[in-house]
Amino acid sequence: MSLITPSQNQQGGPKKGGARRAENNRLYGHSLPITFEKSHSWTSHILGLFGVSGTRMLNPHCTGIFDPHSRSVWVIDSKDAMIMWRRGFFGKGDLSRSEPSWRTRQISAGRAAAGKHMTAEEIREKRRAERKQFKLDRAAAIAQAAAEAEAAFTEGREAKSSVVIPSGATWRPQQLVTEESPSLSPIPDEERTVEFDEDSVPDLEHLQLTLQEAFFLAWSLDCLTIIDPTTSESMSLKQIWTAFQQIHGSTYIPGVVSEIYANRFDSPFMVNYAAYHYYRSLGWIIKGGIKFCVDLLLYKRGPVFHHAEFAIVIIPVYEDPEDQETSPFDLANSQPFSWTWLSTVNRVNSQVQKTLILTYVTIPARSRVSQELLSSPACLAHYSVREVVLRRFIPARMRD
Amino acid sequence: MDDTLERPTSISKPVDLVDDGEDEQSSGEEDQGPDWTKIPSVSTARPFIPKRGEKDFEPTAAGGSGLQRHVLDRSRHAMLEALSAPRTISSKSVSYAVWYPDIARAHVTMSRGIHFTNMGHSVARTTSVEDSKKFAKRLELLPEETLYLVERGAMLCWKASDLVLTDAPGLDDIDGVPMTVQHAFAEMIGTADLTLEQYQVFAYLKRLGYVVTRTKPPNPEYPVPSLIEPPKKRRVLSCFGRVLQLVQWPLQLLLGLVSRFDWWRPIRLSCLQISDTRSLFRSLRFLPGGHDVPLHVKVSPRVTSPYEIFYNVYKPSTPFKKTAPPPPDYSVVVVNARTTPMPTLTELAALFGALPELPPPLPRKRQSFAQHKADATAPPPASTSQTTHPPSSLVQRLFPWAFPSRASPEPVRNANPFLSLKTGKKMVVIAAVDAGMTSFFRFGEGVFTEWPMA
Repeated sequence: MSLITPSQNQQGGPKKGGARRAENNRLYGHSLPITFEKSHSWTSHILGLFGVSGTRMLNPHCTGIFDPHSRSVWVIDSKDAMIMWRRGFFGKGDLSRSEPSWRTRQISAGRAAAGKHMTAEEIREKRRAERKQFKLDRAAAIAQAAAEAEAAFTEGREAKSSVVIPSGATWRPQQLVTEESPSLSPIPDEERTVEFDEDSVPDLEHLQLTLQEAFFLAWSLDCLTIIDPTTSESMSLKQIWTAFQQIHGSTYIPGVVSEIYANRFDSPFMVNYAAYHYYRSLGWIIKGGIKFCVDLLLYKRGPVFHHAEFAIVIIPVYEDPEDQETSPFDLANSQPFSWTWLSTVNRVNSQVQKTLILTYVTIPARSRVSQELLSSPACLAHYSVREVVLRRFIPARMRD
Repeated sequence: MDDTLERPTSISKPVDLVDDGEDEQSSGEEDQGPDWTKIPSVSTARPFIPKRGEKDFEPTAAGGSGLQRHVLDRSRHAMLEALSAPRTISSKSVSYAVWYPDIARAHVTMSRGIHFTNMGHSVARTTSVEDSKKFAKRLELLPEETLYLVERGAMLCWKASDLVLTDAPGLDDIDGVPMTVQHAFAEMIGTADLTLEQYQVFAYLKRLGYVVTRTKPPNPEYPVPSLIEPPKKRRVLSCFGRVLQLVQWPLQLLLGLVSRFDWWRPIRLSCLQISDTRSLFRSLRFLPGGHDVPLHVKVSPRVTSPYEIFYNVYKPSTPFKKTAPPPPDYSVVVVNARTTPMPTLTELAALFGALPELPPPLPRKRQSFAQHKADATAPPPASTSQTTHPPSSLVQRLFPWAFPSRASPEPVRNANPFLSLKTGKKMVVIAAVDAGMTSFFRFGEGVFTEWPMA
């Protein structure tokens, strides 16, 4: 799977900003797997006369396998996985942090070992080591300056320090020069050209979609077919709907559903899906936010373009408190929060320049909405999503 | 009189000027203590709080050194010296008041200084003087205002009493006993719905120069901002738009009858209306969202919420007229952080329901520090041009999928929707006080529904 082209690393360092941005725009230009193409047939021209734009829609029709144990849907085919990732940043590689790039990384590592290049990981490690050295140098210089000042104080004279404390802007690693000098003078006849065999690297990675992502793709966009792992047949939307709701019961046994988990509006899948669909339909790219104590992160166009702007905490709100008391689910964030919790989450997120959003999802009361609606996604019309923006308010800085 | 005490804090920090949006949330230098060594020696009777500086004493692995101890001792000595200076006020600048516990107000008998331009209100009271009922207007202070003035040494307060203290020289006209600061605290906290937390927030905001008034008038004479009309949803529609809507409405109705919304196939991809990604996204927005959707949450009516707006807060720069206060810049709720959990959705909805909509945020101008400095000296520009976002019609908002892409022209967009998204349409400030430590949070009513990204 070559989502990141190996040649990028080979050319040494990342491309310059503009070129890379253009490349990203080309690769990740579509925010949904479904794309539109202008058709040039005569029918479209005639339709155009009547104000109907003559575009043709391209549906990629990908396939995934439902995996109840990991509560995810696996997209095994690398072409499908690439479509899912590049068009809307759905899912995550199971051997990668986000983009399924395991094989690419293996290949570049292999090439680097064969040639004399450094992989991105090695460059990062080197940079970290240098940074550590800088901090040690600086600490030593500060300690030396303090010792000099102390000596001057005991002698009773004015301290005049000769120690130069290194700053991040001026400090350069010394050992780097000796290391780099041989590589700076290229010796052509010594250059080894060992070809790395790309085919020796198997593709072991798959893309895993969360249940929300999978349902969004299968139900709203109709571009994902989900395969049942036991029967190996494609699941109908109704089967998917019930399976995804029931999976949040204690243990998943296909076909067997414990009664208390069935037919409930507060199934974690539904609450999360309502929030997911709401932000997706508004055009946001959504990724998980567990790193920042939140449920979701919102990206404007996608992780390759910008940092996430908003950190979303999903807060389920029962319309009827009685439903909460009888609920078998202990929904996260459904109990009243302490101010300590809020300060903690807000601290973490303002540190990383994200705005905290409390997203309230109301759960319809069983007394108000008929439970028969739960048999189809029609019940989603009775949930509502609203958000509250949270920021610290510092009176000393808000005076004008 | 002691306004000079506040001078250092009113010096605007250059760091904030450069970029106040980004690091608005970090606390920065606020948490550091004062550098007492910068205080001129005790010879001055009037102390002033100096600017902050570098930390003098850092713990080292080898333990403190002689130099560090010397610097620390000097610092500590300076602090004690500064604090030991007697705090005095001039009898010419001090105000006088009498506290009446039965009505929980202080009657200002002598008002001096600028504090009374934005504190206290006049009330007509009947006073029985020499067996004849007199109806006279007088200046009265709420408990927090009284406490604040007493605490900062701007006012002396007596407690109304039948005891006649004739032996006090020059105070023949005051009936009562003098109150200490401690006495005033013990006496006034808890009266007129004032909790200690609320007083702490009041005093903190006042010291920063804000004007703080009560939102709910404690008595009918208390001046409150004239009621702001709840903003009506005005539909700005051109003539063409009206005609279009007239035609569209029955058409959509017909369409709706013919093809009911199929919940198993929410998007008919073959539909002619979906011709590009933007219209596809628009047709995906069929689930209810946003604050206009009715809230069905059941609340038991007996429980009263601690989340009520308590203070109206005005920036120091806002022109404030005591008798006719303008609409507040901020609305502040005060809660005890230890005993009160965060507001629930219903409590927030009630708060937002009582608040007016904010004007769209002004785009922040990116400029250099030097430029900013030049601007600060020059008069501010008369008006800033800005684009407004015309609200889409209710029908369009409710049934966005039902409208073809051509019919709803894209609204004129602000260059940066993030400013609106981060501010929200309505804003309430909640001060959570934890044993004297106050955290202020602003809760904004989110507008994600109105600013789609695609």
